[in-house]
Amino acid sequence: MCGHSWKLMKFAISLLLIIFALCVSALGADETAFPQILRKLIMDNGFTPANDLYLNPDEGLAPIGKVIFESKKLSLNGNISCQTCHLAKFGSADGIPNAAAIAGEGEGPERLLSGAKLLARNTLPLWGRGAKGFTTFFWDGKVDFSDSKRFSQFGSNQPSEDPLITAVHLPVVEIREMLDEDDFVRARKQESVDSSKDVYDAIANNLKKFEPQASKTLASYLRKSVSQLTYADYARSIASFIRSEFRIKETRLERFVKKTESLTSEELRGGLVFYGKGRCVICHSGPHFSDLKFHTVPFPQLGFGKNGFGVDYGRFNATLDPKDLYKFRTPLLYNVQKTAPYGHSGSLATIEEAIIAHFDPLRLANLSSVDALTRHEFYKRMALSSETATTVGFLSFDDIADLTHFLKTLSF
Amino acid sequence: MSQRWSKLLNVLNVMALVIIFFHTAKDLAVPFVAEVVYRDRYVELVFQCDNVMRDHFIAKNQVFTAPSPESFGRLRAAEVGLLTCHDYDVLRKRLIALGLSENRLAQMGLEAIEERAKDVRTFVETHEIRY
Repeated sequence: MCGHSWKLMKFAISLLLIIFALCVSALGADETAFPQILRKLIMDNGFTPANDLYLNPDEGLAPIGKVIFESKKLSLNGNISCQTCHLAKFGSADGIPNAAAIAGEGEGPERLLSGAKLLARNTLPLWGRGAKGFTTFFWDGKVDFSDSKRFSQFGSNQPSEDPLITAVHLPVVEIREMLDEDDFVRARKQESVDSSKDVYDAIANNLKKFEPQASKTLASYLRKSVSQLTYADYARSIASFIRSEFRIKETRLERFVKKTESLTSEELRGGLVFYGKGRCVICHSGPHFSDLKFHTVPFPQLGFGKNGFGVDYGRFNATLDPKDLYKFRTPLLYNVQKTAPYGHSGSLATIEEAIIAHFDPLRLANLSSVDALTRHEFYKRMALSSETATTVGFLSFDDIADLTHFLKTLSF
Repeated sequence: MSQRWSKLLNVLNVMALVIIFFHTAKDLAVPFVAEVVYRDRYVELVFQCDNVMRDHFIAKNQVFTAPSPESFGRLRAAEVGLLTCHDYDVLRKRLIALGLSENRLAQMGLEAIEERAKDVRTFVETHEIRY
């Protein structure tokens, strides 16, 4: 064959290859309507820009609150501060399944191994706490100001009308958490207003003694003398710091909504799974990506549980209503990428596992190797999770991966 | 044979080869490669579309039988879920454009359904009481 013909042949083969490549690449073409559809879905389901969520009536108290938040003298007889378990490097939590509280050393996994007393629950991150519309605190909602009843263990003697300030009153008097059981505490162990007042007064006096500068500044800000300061005043400053330090900030998702940044095709598909066939949005809706209500999702139980022997009745512990058995508050999704492990007992290490637990919990349950009670408890959680089971749709491996990409757009 | 005639034959040969290449690629190679590359995705989308259509059907009925904000929310989500069927439709049309026949696609769809049926048969074979 002459050189000219060979050139023609090469041209023809190249042309065919180009046509084939074009045909194949056309299959992956972007769907331009999808970003608009997703944007509308995000807005229709209560998305609120970060700046509009910020609320801090005591902004000026935040620097004092920082000192108190970091002070180990907040623990009456232990060696622990709020910061011990709410660390920036673990996304404002502690990076371990069950919180390692008093009687330990170090942070996160190091504290776990140091002999700290363990709590039954996974440390909750603090992002968005006290922001607009955030009314329900802790896994079981033991502080719930979502309606006019203003539910908490303080009954009709709420220390504050502000749910965050009320919530800040609880960890410091929780035995094993920030309080060790010594003679003083044992004598005041029964739940009564007077006995808790004694403990709060003792904590306030501890702070006045060991954090004199912060106490003086706090008293001056509140136009009181130092001797008049109560624990509620310190709690107010801590709440202000939490609001300021852990405020929701602009995310990639917000920039996508504002059309200043686009999402990748995986994130886009994940968003459509979130608002579509996954039906995650039924519970993870509103400004905080949580309805702040209580649902049963059969997450595996890790640790001894709030009710002992690996049992955790969840919301029931707060309300004593059998309808609330095994229910936990819908977790917020801001910065979810940084707050592993997941679930009320931190039993799931990855976001992917947490997603699977919603629609295919048996995939994660190693039922033949657990004891009979654990299996029985899992069965009950499964039985009571019918609402979740009939809500959440089946997801493929690709859907889970895409959904994970989408959830990561909520990081800041 | 003159040189001009020889050149013409060469050109005709090349043209014939190009046409053969083109048709071989269009009718055999491209559909074959497209099927090899996209078969799993197509089969997955057949299943997923069927799944979200069933979800949508249930959600729609629930709005009639038990209307509530939750059931309306589920229906709205199920409607968005139907976008999976759009993905299925798009892939189906593109596979047709790449030369796969309707019959071949129907066969792939049937195979997708039978993949599930095979599981049931295996299950029955394992547990069936035989006399």
